[in-house]
Amino acid sequence: MLTAPNERLKRLIRQTLLIRRIEERVIELYPSDKIQSPVHLSIGQEPVAVGLCEAMTPQDILFTTYRGHAYYIAKGGTLPELMAELYGRSGGVSGGKAGSMHLAAPEVGMMGSSAVVASTIPHGVGAALAAKLRGEKQAVITVFGDGATEEGVYHESLNFAVLHKVPVLFVCENNALAVHTSLAERQAFDTESHAKAYGINTTVIEDGNDLIKIGDVTAKLLASLRAGGGPEWLMIKTYRYKEHVGPGDDFDAGYRKRADMEPWWKSDPLNRYADIVKGMEAEVKAEIDRAVAFAEASAPPAPEQLLTDVE
Amino acid sequence: MTHQSTATSLSYREALHKAMHDAMAGNPNALLFGQGINDHKGIFGTTTGLADKFGKHRLIEVPLAEEGVTGNCIGAALNGAYPINVHIRSDFVLLAMNQIINLAAKYKYMFGGLFDVPMLVRLVIGRSWGQGAQHSQSLQSLFAHIPGLTVIMPASSGSIVDSYAHAVRKHRGPVISLEHRLMYDLKFEPEHEPVVLGATPFSQRKVSHGSDVTIVSTSIMSLEARRAGEWLASRGISCDIIDLHCVSHIDADVIMKSVARTGKLLVADTSWQPYGVSAEVCRIVAMRDPGVLKAPVVCMGMAAAPCPTAKALEDIYYPNLTTLTDAIATLVRGKKDNGIELPHERSMADVYKKFKGPF
Repeated sequence: MLTAPNERLKRLIRQTLLIRRIEERVIELYPSDKIQSPVHLSIGQEPVAVGLCEAMTPQDILFTTYRGHAYYIAKGGTLPELMAELYGRSGGVSGGKAGSMHLAAPEVGMMGSSAVVASTIPHGVGAALAAKLRGEKQAVITVFGDGATEEGVYHESLNFAVLHKVPVLFVCENNALAVHTSLAERQAFDTESHAKAYGINTTVIEDGNDLIKIGDVTAKLLASLRAGGGPEWLMIKTYRYKEHVGPGDDFDAGYRKRADMEPWWKSDPLNRYADIVKGMEAEVKAEIDRAVAFAEASAPPAPEQLLTDVE
Repeated sequence: MTHQSTATSLSYREALHKAMHDAMAGNPNALLFGQGINDHKGIFGTTTGLADKFGKHRLIEVPLAEEGVTGNCIGAALNGAYPINVHIRSDFVLLAMNQIINLAAKYKYMFGGLFDVPMLVRLVIGRSWGQGAQHSQSLQSLFAHIPGLTVIMPASSGSIVDSYAHAVRKHRGPVISLEHRLMYDLKFEPEHEPVVLGATPFSQRKVSHGSDVTIVSTSIMSLEARRAGEWLASRGISCDIIDLHCVSHIDADVIMKSVARTGKLLVADTSWQPYGVSAEVCRIVAMRDPGVLKAPVVCMGMAAAPCPTAKALEDIYYPNLTTLTDAIATLVRGKKDNGIELPHERSMADVYKKFKGPF
C-alpha cells in the first residue's frame, strides 16, 4: 500500500536533493576551473549519508572519507562555507586548506575526512574509547568504502573496538568498486562473515536508496551503542553513478555497464518521489545560488595563511 | 632566554616513571597505550604499577596493531583525551607511519586549524648488546622532516620530567620522543642538569661552555660529548656543547652564536648522517653564514649500514669516547696528529651498562 510521504520522508528527500543538486553544480562549475582540486562525487550514494546522519545527534560524531560532500551536508555543515572551501577561498570551512577531500565541521560532529583509504576507521574507535572514558552518551560512526575492508587497519580497528566494547558503528558504504576494480577482483573473503569473526553484530541493508530504512536501522544501532552494547557493524549497498574522481560519467570505460545502474536509478528517491522533488527545486536552487555567490565573493586566503596552524 | 630545568637525582628510568605517573594523575582523560605496559616488566619499569593505581581502562595493553593503535590515539585526542603511546623499540613505529605522517601531523593544518591532536609517542632506541638491524634504529630525522610534528630526544632525567609535563599539560600537537635505552639506568646529578636555552622545556640545552669548538649533539651523544669535553678540558681544549633536545625545532641563533665564537663545529648524532640531524645542522650553518667556519664541519654518527649484531662490528658501528675525543682534538688542532692523549674505550655499551654517574 502506497502511503503519502510524511514530513520525515520529505525532509530526507530534500536533503538528498540538496546534495545531488550541489554536486551537479560542481559538475557545471568544474570546466571553469574555479574548483581546482579533485572531487569525488557522491551522486547516487546520497541516501546513505542522509539516512545515517538523520539518526545522529549533533553531539554524535562522524569520521568519513574523501567522498565526503554528502556527509558534510547531511551532518549539518553549512553550504556557503562548503562552496567557498571547494573554491579554495578564505571563507571556506577550513579557509581553503582542506578542499573537497578534507571536509570537517566539528561544531556539528563532522570530525574530518581523509584521502587515504581506511585511515579514519581507527579514529572512530579511539574517539569512541574517549567518549566511554568521559562517561558520555555519545555515539560514533566511522564510514568507509568496501575497498577499505581490505586494509590491515580495518581489521585492527574491528579487533580493538570489540575487545574494548566501545560505542562505535562501523559503516561499510559498499558501492562494490575500488576506483575501477570490482569486489570480485579484490576480495577472497565475504565482508560480512569476515566481520562476524570478530564477534560483532552485523546488519546489511541491500537497498541503499531506502532513506527511511537506513534512518531507522541506524537509530536502532546507535541506541544499542549508547546503552553500552558494544560496537555494531552495518553494510549499506549503494551505487556510484559518476566516475571515481572527477565530474564525468564513465560507462564507456569498460569496467561496468550502464545497465548496472538501472535498478538503482529506478529506486533512486529523487526519481521515485519526482513529484515531491519538483516542488522543492526552486528553493534548493536558491540555496545553492547563495552558497555559490558567497564562494565567488570570498577572497583567496592571504599569503600569511601559508604558515598558520602548522602545529 | 634561559632557565634551569628541574633538578632531580632520579635515574632516566625513574624520571620516565614519574612522568607517566604525573600524566595519569594530572589529567583524568590521559590514556597510556602500549604493548607490554601492564606486564611484569612495564616497559623497562617506566609503567610498572600504574594500572593498579589508575585502572586498566586508562592503561591500555594493546593488540599488536601499531597503525590501528596510533589511529585510536588520534581519535581519542580529537575527542578530548590525552593519549600516550609507547613503543618498546622505535623500529616498531614504522608500522604506524601512515597515521603519524598522513594524519596526526596534518590534522590541524589540513582542516585549517579546526582540530588539535595533542598526543605523545614514546619510542625507545634499543641500542647495544646485539639488538641488530631492527631493534636499534634512531629514526628522528624521518619524523623531524615532517611539518606538524615536534620531535624531542631527552638526554637527562630533568629533560624527561620537564618536557613530558610540557607535552601533556601545555603543548597542543603531536610530540614524538626518542628515549635512549642505554641511559635508562643513569642517575643524573642535579648540578649537571643542562641549562635550557629558550622559552619552553622543548628548547635546546647548554651542556658546557667553551671557546675552541662547538659540539652539537643529540641524546646519548650529548653525554658522550660531555665526557669527551671533560677529558679534553684538562688537556687544553675547551668545548661549547649544545644538546639539541628538540631536533625538529632547532634554534639556529643558538648554534650560530656558538660557532661564530669557536669557528669550529662538530655534530654528534645517534643516527646516520645523510639527510639527518647532521645534514640539517650543516644546512643551517651553510645558509646562515658559512663564513664563520674556520674549518670544515665534522659529523659523527652511525656507520652507513644497517646495524650489525656481532659485538666486534657493533662496537665500531657507533662513535665512542675514543673516536669522538680524537675527532674533536683533530678538529681543534687542525691536524690528524693532534698530540692529545686519548681515553681508552672500545665500547660505549660496556660503559653505560655499568655506568652510575657522574651525569
